[in-house]
Amino acid sequence: MLANYVPVLIFFCIAGALGIVLLTLGFVLGHGSKDAAKLSPYECGFEAFEDSRMRFDVRYYLVAILFIVFDLEIAFLFPWAVALDQIGLFGLGAMAIFLGILVVGFIYEWRKGALEWD
Amino acid sequence: MITSALFYTFAAILIAAALGVILSRNPVHSALFLVLAFVQSSVLWLLIEAEFLAIVLVLVYVGAVMVLFLFVVMMLDINVEELREGFTRYFWVGAGVALFVVIEVGQVIWYRSQNLEFMVRPESLPADYSNTKELGSVLYTEHVYAFELAAMLLLLAIVAAITLTMRKRPGLKAQDITRQVSVRREDRVRIVSMDSTKD
Amino acid sequence: METLLSNVVPFWSSFSGDLQLVLVSAAKVIVLLVPLILGVAYFTYWERKIIGWMQNRLGPNRVGPKGLLQPFADLIKMLFKEVIVPANSNRFLFVIAPLLSMVPAFVAWAAVPMSDTFVVADINAGLLYILALTSLGVYGVILAGWASNSKYALLGAMRSAAQIVAYEIAMGFALVGVVMAGGSLNLGDIVLAQQGTSIASWFIWPLFPLFLVYFISGVAETNRSPFDVAEGESEIVAGFHVEYSGIAFGLFFLAEYANMILITVLTVTFFLGGWLSPFAGLPGFADSWLAAPSLIWLVGKMFIFMFCFLWFRATFPRYRYDQIMRLGWKVFIPITIVWIVVEACMVALGIGPWSGTV
Repeated sequence: MLANYVPVLIFFCIAGALGIVLLTLGFVLGHGSKDAAKLSPYECGFEAFEDSRMRFDVRYYLVAILFIVFDLEIAFLFPWAVALDQIGLFGLGAMAIFLGILVVGFIYEWRKGALEWD
Repeated sequence: MITSALFYTFAAILIAAALGVILSRNPVHSALFLVLAFVQSSVLWLLIEAEFLAIVLVLVYVGAVMVLFLFVVMMLDINVEELREGFTRYFWVGAGVALFVVIEVGQVIWYRSQNLEFMVRPESLPADYSNTKELGSVLYTEHVYAFELAAMLLLLAIVAAITLTMRKRPGLKAQDITRQVSVRREDRVRIVSMDSTKD
Repeated sequence: METLLSNVVPFWSSFSGDLQLVLVSAAKVIVLLVPLILGVAYFTYWERKIIGWMQNRLGPNRVGPKGLLQPFADLIKMLFKEVIVPANSNRFLFVIAPLLSMVPAFVAWAAVPMSDTFVVADINAGLLYILALTSLGVYGVILAGWASNSKYALLGAMRSAAQIVAYEIAMGFALVGVVMAGGSLNLGDIVLAQQGTSIASWFIWPLFPLFLVYFISGVAETNRSPFDVAEGESEIVAGFHVEYSGIAFGLFFLAEYANMILITVLTVTFFLGGWLSPFAGLPGFADSWLAAPSLIWLVGKMFIFMFCFLWFRATFPRYRYDQIMRLGWKVFIPITIVWIVVEACMVALGIGPWSGTV
């Protein structure tokens, strides 16, 4: 089975090498003069005056947490979908309960307004 | 032979990445080293033919959990100096945990030296063997309680995340489309009958 | 010829088995990668032509006959442009971010079968592998936005990350439906499960809602119009890559187009029978080449969806951000969950073309 993954490793090396070669070429071939105005971060009409790494709305973190939960759910669904023909009605029932519990969570999110983006 | 060469290569990168997590001063670099460490450990899992677990490690930890970590570390402006102050206070707890881990690792090495085979090296699996399928065939039948428990834990996580982070901002002027669409003429326009003025 | 062969064969077999495996895989990677990069190059050309025609313009027509050499001119121009690393940026992360965006976009192609014999890496968990690798692409975006130390870049990166994350869930659920129907995580097996008479046995029919969700999520996932708020040139200039110039920008460009083509090939593989012929199993076509499965069919079907990407871009106005999030969380996820339940019921009752029957 490991032999199946050898091409992935090689693909990774070749794609990485391609990217590095292109970047190096870009740095070597395209050199110009540097000055303060060119190197300053883009701003619209005035000079950048503060650190741009600012705080963000907590909503983004909530979205990320909910994403983790649903991603885990998907990770549980895949082996079930593959083994559907082996686990019979019992497996279907087990997944029905699992999905049921999570749909409760989804409805809770919805009603609480966690999916609202305003 | 080649498998063990690969193992040592990736294990070395893993250890280097783990050291990078605790040694780099910039928290974003730490988080990225942690990503590298996860990827390397997933390769190690792949080397013992745990295909499903290896890919899910990347999918869930690298693809989801670390994205959240990066969000938090990048945007929260964590003051590194302040964190340093707590170092001595938590030093003893940390040392205790470290000692525990060292004892565990020592045990494993000791067992190995006694030649007790407590972990059999997994034999090489045929190319079309799908351990996702094997996992699926037991997870939803034999281990169904643990599986449903996982659902409850995830539900708990949803509820906890929402109670911790949800807050209503006052004075928000949001558009409510259902209200907009369901508006009737009577809500907006009042027709007043008046006598026409004569002059 | 005889002598050449008699020289080559012993030379080849003098290599060890492992080395042979490495060489064969490297050759396969090159055979896949070169057409892919050419495809990306001409996809950009085609995009400019199509959108030009839709807007009553000619599109590129100066470099070479009918402008056909335009992609190469672009590449050379980008290579010779200065790569500016802005002051106060995190230099290392700034340079590494385009690589983190490009490499997963290409490596994900390893598990995609081009025909029933050619696939670079025949992975059993191929579908999971692709899902895992496409979820890595978000790092390039976040790091590019953060490392540039520019407000526009950071805003674009946050928007894009939250959007990618929301649509990835809908995509994952849609793929669960595909796996239920195909009974395998191997992409080749999923295609073979769609064999049958003509187009009737393709998964697009029983999984039609999932097909729509998957393709639209794919458009959103690649940050393409009408979901391109992450770039939104009229609001945040260019989003996460506003500070990138020259070939560093070019790598993001390469990644975006490779991801778009990846979405089309996956849509075709999961829902439209991949390399299978639409004439297969029809009377009168039994011995014809038209009925034989081949790369032509795969590419032909891909062209339809690649055209859709461009068509959408020329047609639809941009979504507002809250509308995008609503579509992902409140429309697509419920649709996919409902369809998984419907499919499970159909499997339990033995209705439908599923290979897995209880």
